[in-house]
Amino acid sequence: MTLTVGQSLIRVDAEAKVKGKAVYPGDIEMPDMAYMKILFANRPHAIIQRIDVSRAEQLPGVLAVFTAKDVPNNEYGLISPDQPVLCGPGSNKAHADHVRFIGDQVALVVAESEAIAVQAISLIDVDYADLPVVSDPREAMKVQSPRLFPDRDSNVFGHYRIRKGSIENGFKNADVIVEGYYQTPVQEHAYLQPEAGVSYLDEEDRITVVVAGQWVHEDQEQIAHALGLPLEKIRVIYPAIGGAFGGREDMSVQIVLALATYRLSQKGIRRPIKIVWSREESIIGHHKRHAYYIHTRWGASRDGKITAAEVELIADGGAYMYTSTKVLGNATLMCTGPYEIPNVNVDSYAVYTNNIPGGAFRGFGGPQGAFAAELQMDKLAEALDMDPVEIRERNILREGSLLSVGTPLPKGVSMDKVLEACALKAGWVRGARGWQRPVVNQPEQANKKRGIGFACAFKNVGFSFGAPENCWATIELRGKEEIDQAILYHAGAEVGQGAHTAFIQMAAEALGLPFEKIVLVASDTAYTRNSGSVSASRMTFMAGNSIRGAAAQALEKWKNEERPAVATYQYLPPRTTPYDPETGKSEPNFSYGYVAEAVEVEVDVETGQLQVINVICADDVGKAVNPQQVQGQIEGAVVQAAGYGILENFLQKDGLSLTKTLSTYLIPTVLDVPTRVESVILEYPDPIGPFGARGMGEMPYLPFVPALVSAVHNASGCWFDQFPLIPERVLEGLSS
Amino acid sequence: MVTDTHPTLPEFDYFRPESLQEASAFLAQHAGEARPFLGGTDLFVRMRDGALVPRYLVDVKHLEGTDELRFDPQHGLTIGAAVCMNRVIASPEVRRVYPLLAEACRSVASHQLRTRATVVGNVCNASPAGDTIGACLALDGVLNVHGTGGPRQEPLSAFFLGPGKTKLQPGDIVTSIHFPLPPLGCAGTYLKLGRNRLSDLSIVAVTVLAAPDPGLPSGCRFRIVLASVAPVPLVAAQAEEYLANRPVTSDSIAEAARLAGAACKPIDDIRGSARYRKSMVKNLTEKALTAVWNQLHP
Ligand SMILES: Cc1cc2nc3c(=O)[nH]c(=O)nc-3n(C[C@H](O)[C@H](O)[C@H](O)COP(=O)(O)OP(=O)(O)OC[C@H]3O[C@@H](n4cnc5c(N)ncnc54)[C@H](O)[C@@H]3O)c2cc1C
Repeated sequence: MTLTVGQSLIRVDAEAKVKGKAVYPGDIEMPDMAYMKILFANRPHAIIQRIDVSRAEQLPGVLAVFTAKDVPNNEYGLISPDQPVLCGPGSNKAHADHVRFIGDQVALVVAESEAIAVQAISLIDVDYADLPVVSDPREAMKVQSPRLFPDRDSNVFGHYRIRKGSIENGFKNADVIVEGYYQTPVQEHAYLQPEAGVSYLDEEDRITVVVAGQWVHEDQEQIAHALGLPLEKIRVIYPAIGGAFGGREDMSVQIVLALATYRLSQKGIRRPIKIVWSREESIIGHHKRHAYYIHTRWGASRDGKITAAEVELIADGGAYMYTSTKVLGNATLMCTGPYEIPNVNVDSYAVYTNNIPGGAFRGFGGPQGAFAAELQMDKLAEALDMDPVEIRERNILREGSLLSVGTPLPKGVSMDKVLEACALKAGWVRGARGWQRPVVNQPEQANKKRGIGFACAFKNVGFSFGAPENCWATIELRGKEEIDQAILYHAGAEVGQGAHTAFIQMAAEALGLPFEKIVLVASDTAYTRNSGSVSASRMTFMAGNSIRGAAAQALEKWKNEERPAVATYQYLPPRTTPYDPETGKSEPNFSYGYVAEAVEVEVDVETGQLQVINVICADDVGKAVNPQQVQGQIEGAVVQAAGYGILENFLQKDGLSLTKTLSTYLIPTVLDVPTRVESVILEYPDPIGPFGARGMGEMPYLPFVPALVSAVHNASGCWFDQFPLIPERVLEGLSS
Repeated sequence: MVTDTHPTLPEFDYFRPESLQEASAFLAQHAGEARPFLGGTDLFVRMRDGALVPRYLVDVKHLEGTDELRFDPQHGLTIGAAVCMNRVIASPEVRRVYPLLAEACRSVASHQLRTRATVVGNVCNASPAGDTIGACLALDGVLNVHGTGGPRQEPLSAFFLGPGKTKLQPGDIVTSIHFPLPPLGCAGTYLKLGRNRLSDLSIVAVTVLAAPDPGLPSGCRFRIVLASVAPVPLVAAQAEEYLANRPVTSDSIAEAARLAGAACKPIDDIRGSARYRKSMVKNLTEKALTAVWNQLHP
């Protein structure tokens, strides 16, 4: 029995956010502040031959202009430091004079006001020599394609292979074979708060950057690396963060703010510097969800058993690596779905192009993989005249099943139970011939057709694939006889998902204290130790385990009369291993969440418009630490996935973005979101999760699009192998 | 080249004239660098985007006649330039006598925006996508204009010259829009197809107004106006004429819809392709005509 964990307590940040008192990076004002603007390249591929900043420097009110030559170590990147901080000549890094996408940063202006900085930016003269633009990763893979990095021998920067069983035998034993070419689109994070931040020298002379991100310690490391300074000279603090969804995983304003503070301080100027990006800058300035090109062939025997799956995945990595290889790793695992398939071949590639980089976005490769896998399942079901839930159940991963990478899932596999819960709730019945899809009531209007679709998925918790996962927590117990107060020091970021409330709930539970007695000091590298990133559905899981460890040790010290009793604990999850380069054999992850979704849709066959009528989303979250927040995550993920599936159409042509505003790139409004979302929260404990909890922020996102496409097929008889299902595409499909 | 770095509106001088004469004189004197404005919901967006950089903005919201919303059972409806769309929608007379206009206003963006946006601004902006323009045309709207030569009237039927281009001359201020009484027993509808269901401009939109007319072979006069399919809001004259000259049947409606589709000259843009637009004009016109016909013959 838990006391605090499992309750829908009011979020600790609710009042400040509702009243507008929460301070986001753009709200921060400090005395004597200066303002920064960035000159973006705004061209996709070029060499910068010359930059002349003299006119900008002479503009009254300009404090300084910085270019590539001012960056001590002009490179950064989460996986590989392949991106210049500032593009231009005179840098200490080879080829840093190359511009590789429109959002590459070329120069910084710091001035007395934002208006002066904007004007100064327009006075910077840059000579570009344009290069041929590479905008299709399938072309970019070819040997004759122009290369983005002259020192690499190919634009392909990531490749995984899975070889399980014998693909030839698998297809030989198949009674039906289904082949599909799928494409998944780019998606913009469109968080409410565009990138912003303030930097200054703190009381200990640390270069301090107050910014919205997902991992304070990674930001700190990236800044230190580019500035060539020791870590302890850099401090990163997160105030309130206006959404992230993976879009703040990589650097935006972090390094350039620190760079400006550093260089100005060398000139004796010690003023705080602020920057706020416009929406247009945000849209070109940060990475996007990867576009994927997927070619796949699956075979099944007459009894609905999948015998073989062969997949080729090509991810448009865009101009720099960001987290592409990790995203590709997930897609490689998820592209065969939550099914046990004896014979599997997967080849996956991440490729450089001159598009805006692809990177982390809720689901992290999972949605792209799930789209192809689930549609293949549906098409096999159709070919075998079998119910889509039935065929899934016959192949589903169970306790002890072997993944495509040749190893079993960690204990606590609940995919079968989740599938069943969702199917029953959505009206499927189990008869003599197995599962049967409900018959959907058709509306009276002749132009409206309704259908229902189903999909399921699994999502790893944590980056893993051998990543050195860990998470620290410190707990300090204060008081004399009784514990008056417990202070929890934790770096984990509150990006709007309710993480901090969950941390406090778990700390209260672990310490046996009331919620009110816990004080959280969070997301400041000066006071907290590394938590790892708030991404990959990992933070509740990792933080919870670190908090439990720290709580147990702090209580022990308290018993031994230490006052205050302070304990610091590092949680290390079970070891994982990377893909074997030849066979992919690995133990990729230590925990998973399982999800199934049913979507009911109405298709207007005259216009092609879709309305999602009902979504049932069943998620095994292990333990809902705060059920209301879990429901919020499910509904939020479904809405975001509905935008991805139906509406959001990010257009790029020859490396240029055609949708740089939220009036051209539309996200769902309140009238566009699914009419109803029913969250089915299941709690089959993860044996190693804190209080049994699994990570769950991403998984409701994964099955939505395939379930939607399946519903549209049920309504109309048409398959769609590409989305978003904008009216035009739907109508074209219906009429062909 | 700098783009994407507009933190705010470019600098301008705000001018609030005391009279229409003063306003017209000022606008004429600063032709090319001064603009009148009402709600600013079109103008400010274009200024922020750098598409327009006027030196002077001339606020005309307080000038004579711009604030009135008046219905006269003999002469019809006058909507002052400064009357926001939410006021139009809320007016009992508009709802009763000109429901099509209220329907068109309701399709514009969101409630918040409509507390600023005006019908006259929508008309003067002369976007082929302007949501209220079809209703204004179908209801035979006439603009009351004050220019350097004094007041005059401009019928809407000849007002639009191109995207953002109208018959207005430097010094002209639209003070109100007037509608005669609608034809007796009329019915209308506005069908807007947008990418989303709130606040996007239309991919295409169709306005239909119909009224019994015993003088016509069909016994019914139809007005059809199409949005977002030509450089200006497009009256589908051929389709109107076709319908007027024969009995109304589902076949003649289908043929009229086809003619409407054939008449438009849409372009490909971010909201939709020309092909899709053409076929949607046909579908929506047929649907709108049928709906209105059924309304007249319940
Ligand atoms: C978020 C958003 C959503 C929108 N959605 C829609 C939509 O769904 N449908 C739609 O049709 N529009 C939409 N618009 C556009 C705009 O709101 C409308 O066109 C509105 O009716 C303009 O009215 P206004 O009073 O704000 O005009 P203003 O912006 O004040 O003026 C518009 C133009 O007319 C000129 N002008 C203004 N007053 C006069 C006058 N008295 N005499 C002569 N010229 C004049 C101005 O110089 C300017 O060029 C949207 C705008 C925004 C910002």
